[in-house]
Amino acid sequence: MPPQAPKIDLLQGTLDLLILRTLRLGPMHGWAISERIQQISEGVLEVNQGSLYPALHRLEHQGWIEAEWGVSELGRRARFYTLTATGRKQVDVESKNWTRLTAAIDRIVEAT
Amino acid sequence: MNWNDLRLRLRAIFSPAKAEQDLTDELAFHVEMQTRKNVALGIPEADALRTARAQFGHATSTRELCRDERRIGFLETLFQDIRYAVRSFRRAPTFSLTVIATIGLGLGVNAAVFTLFNAYVLRPLAVREPYSLYLFQYRDRAGKFHDLTSRQFDQLQAAESPAIEDLHAVIGLAVRINGRQCFSEFVSPNYFRMLGVSATIGRTLVPGDNNNPSVMVLGSSTWHNQFGGDPAIIGKKILVRGYPVEVVGVAQDGFGGLGDFPRDFWMPLALAPQVLPKLDSISVIIRLKRGLGEAQAKALLVGSLAQLTLDAPASERAVSVTLESRATSVHLGFEGMLMVMPMFVAFGLILLIACANVANMMLARAMARQREMSTRLSLGAARSRLIRQLLTESIVLALPGAAVGFLLSRLVIDTAVRLILHSLPGEFVEFFHFAPLDPDARVFTFMLVAAVASGILFGFAPAIQATRPDFGKAFRPQRLRNALVIVQVATCSLLLIAAGVLLRASNSVHDLDTGLRTRDVVWVELLEPSRARVLATLAQQGSIDTLAATSHVPFDAGFPSARLSSGRQALDFVSYDYVSPEVFEVFDIRMRQGRVFTAVEAHSDLPVAIVSETVAKRMWPNEDAVGKSFQAEVESKSNLSRGTPLRYSEVRVIGVSADINVGLTDDRVSHSMVYFPATARTAQTKLLLRVKGDTESARQSIDRALSAAAPGAVDKIHKMQEQIAGRVYPFRMTSWISTFLGLLALLLTITGIYGVISYLVQQRTKEMGIRKALGATSSSVVALVLRQSARLALMGITIGAALSLAVSRLLSSVLVVVSGFDMLALTAGIAVVLAACLAASLYPSLEAAGVDPMTTLRHD
Repeated sequence: MPPQAPKIDLLQGTLDLLILRTLRLGPMHGWAISERIQQISEGVLEVNQGSLYPALHRLEHQGWIEAEWGVSELGRRARFYTLTATGRKQVDVESKNWTRLTAAIDRIVEAT
Repeated sequence: MNWNDLRLRLRAIFSPAKAEQDLTDELAFHVEMQTRKNVALGIPEADALRTARAQFGHATSTRELCRDERRIGFLETLFQDIRYAVRSFRRAPTFSLTVIATIGLGLGVNAAVFTLFNAYVLRPLAVREPYSLYLFQYRDRAGKFHDLTSRQFDQLQAAESPAIEDLHAVIGLAVRINGRQCFSEFVSPNYFRMLGVSATIGRTLVPGDNNNPSVMVLGSSTWHNQFGGDPAIIGKKILVRGYPVEVVGVAQDGFGGLGDFPRDFWMPLALAPQVLPKLDSISVIIRLKRGLGEAQAKALLVGSLAQLTLDAPASERAVSVTLESRATSVHLGFEGMLMVMPMFVAFGLILLIACANVANMMLARAMARQREMSTRLSLGAARSRLIRQLLTESIVLALPGAAVGFLLSRLVIDTAVRLILHSLPGEFVEFFHFAPLDPDARVFTFMLVAAVASGILFGFAPAIQATRPDFGKAFRPQRLRNALVIVQVATCSLLLIAAGVLLRASNSVHDLDTGLRTRDVVWVELLEPSRARVLATLAQQGSIDTLAATSHVPFDAGFPSARLSSGRQALDFVSYDYVSPEVFEVFDIRMRQGRVFTAVEAHSDLPVAIVSETVAKRMWPNEDAVGKSFQAEVESKSNLSRGTPLRYSEVRVIGVSADINVGLTDDRVSHSMVYFPATARTAQTKLLLRVKGDTESARQSIDRALSAAAPGAVDKIHKMQEQIAGRVYPFRMTSWISTFLGLLALLLTITGIYGVISYLVQQRTKEMGIRKALGATSSSVVALVLRQSARLALMGITIGAALSLAVSRLLSSVLVVVSGFDMLALTAGIAVVLAACLAASLYPSLEAAGVDPMTTLRHD
């Protein structure tokens, strides 16, 4: 593989936001979500593929996403995740929090 | 925890294999997809899977994390703990059964009390929306409560207040039907509709009944108990005070009106003027408009009520309205709660010492499991995990305790009801209606909550102690166990001393000399229209020795009181009564001076009076009272409703009678009595009959003769002796309850002390052996152990005695017959508790004395 820019470790809790935002595009299975996150962040954020699943299960327990067995594009049985109504609201909340957090960090970085 | 979470968690519990399989499939799918991608990226097929696995990371820990997310850990370990607890208790059946029985005892008596409390205070009445129903009264500027008059009620109904959804009026009527005491109500025509109560058979009351008001609706339990549940009752006529009233229906099951005990039947308000001599006031029940709070409603109602009472004297006008909830049988305000509090505390204390006992047993068991605990701790078990397990064990024991307690509570209630009905003075039984005492969801919830709470209570301290890392080395939980024993001893001495104080109070009431001969006296309350016929019938009865009349029957309602004055002297709170001259003969009240009323005086309302010795001495010390005169005025208006108003202003004393005492104390006020003349024909007087032969059979034959000659004319016919028994009864009851609780507490304390001392002896076996080897005698070893338990007992007794003194002070401030410092009850209580404590430790101490020094010393 070609050498890449150093990867950034995910901040605590940001994985939830990434998953929720990704699922806004439509129902997806775990592997697709991990691919999508890597793709969009142009490889800067590499989600540890294993750590994706506990996060998915956690979100499911919180009622923000729903899981259902379906058939994948290659005809295999796969578990698809969908955003629920409360999940949709949660995306907005988390996005706002994120914007506030990054804005604050930006200010600190620029001021010093 | 949300619903979603619960659903997923339950699924994981009930089909763990499926949840696991799903997880395996999901992760396998991911790895497969990654492998395909890797192949597509040009990685050789052989390496693609390995690379994909590496990219995925540690699969086992991922699975573990996912399982954690499912959070079935909590419930799984709970089940594990329960299984473990059940297994270990099955191995120690004696221990487990003792704990279950002890907790069951404590929970049982409390559940019994709660069932009672629930039936009267918590359970909503079986009517539509009970929580919006209120008894409506108003207060004048002096703060006195007033019911509405029927005119005010009509006006209120016509005014259509914005606060009132609906309203009805009720007048109570206690009446004898077929020789049995019944309680009925005259109600507005909308009564049943407003309460949403329908008829089991026939119909309820309707507005059309006003035209032909001689109809009644029977209560369902009365229909079943008195009329055998016979549907043919519809259309039958029942005599109510001599008026035939037709039964038109039976109310639905479980409905007994809005009072504190079930009513027998209901009649239209329109019938009341015919049956009742006078209608002064009525109870008004309103249903507040939906969503209206009490305070808002009061604000809305006070204006309209001020309007309604404008024509009343200024001192009687409404300044505020009061609303009393009618959602439950009994409405306990703050003060009412304070009154029943002591009972709850007393019963709660039983549960507390039961828990203390069990806590002690758990501690002993924890000591025995010391090795298990320290092994688990050193192997890395979290202390919180162990505490959780030990608490689970306590609760696992407490729940069967609750089941035992529930059965026990049914037994206690059943026995108590039976005992009350047997021990009540005979003629009171028919006045006694119990609310249904069946358990319901609230009782079961109470049991469950109480069981879990007591499980935590008796399990917590042992769990904390047992899991201390230094447990068993530096720490011996003896101090805690001693404290628990002291609490027990204190509680049971408190209860036993209180029982003694109450028992003595009940005896002192019982032994109080009333100065009245009541043994063979029967009293009769009759309906005014039938007075002549009743008197004529009584005149023919051979069993009657003497007939007298009085405006107030002693011990029934109490005498009204007046202020007497003559020149320099004035006496307040002098009881007065209108009596016929024969009263002094019937009750055997001796005349000390002067004479009784003559027939002329009795008939003609002359201003003459007979005073009791005490009044004579207080008014005219060292003088002859006969021939003196005095002025009398009623003490306050409030007596008007209870007694006959005083009609004289200047009265001459014609005789001085021996003192009588109808109060509960032996003091000057309860001996102060003044009699004014009356005859058996005077309206509103009750008749006193001194009978020959057996009093009860005389009472029955008179009752029969009267119901034949004047049906429905007799409202009450009772033996005077029952009146005396009735006033002692409440004291008897409370002293029995207190004794029962005290003995229960004593039993628990004895077993508690026995446990603690046996344990102590067992621990100090070696020490005892050494002592004996060094020449201690058996008796000195016994003394050593007894001293130990006496020390604990004395500490507990001191606390208990101090508390009981405080309690009896409090009681004596409310009830004069209760002594604030009852030396006999105090010493007796202390002696019993101390003796019991020493007896409980005697066996363990003998065991200690029997220690063979050789065996014990060789043993280690």
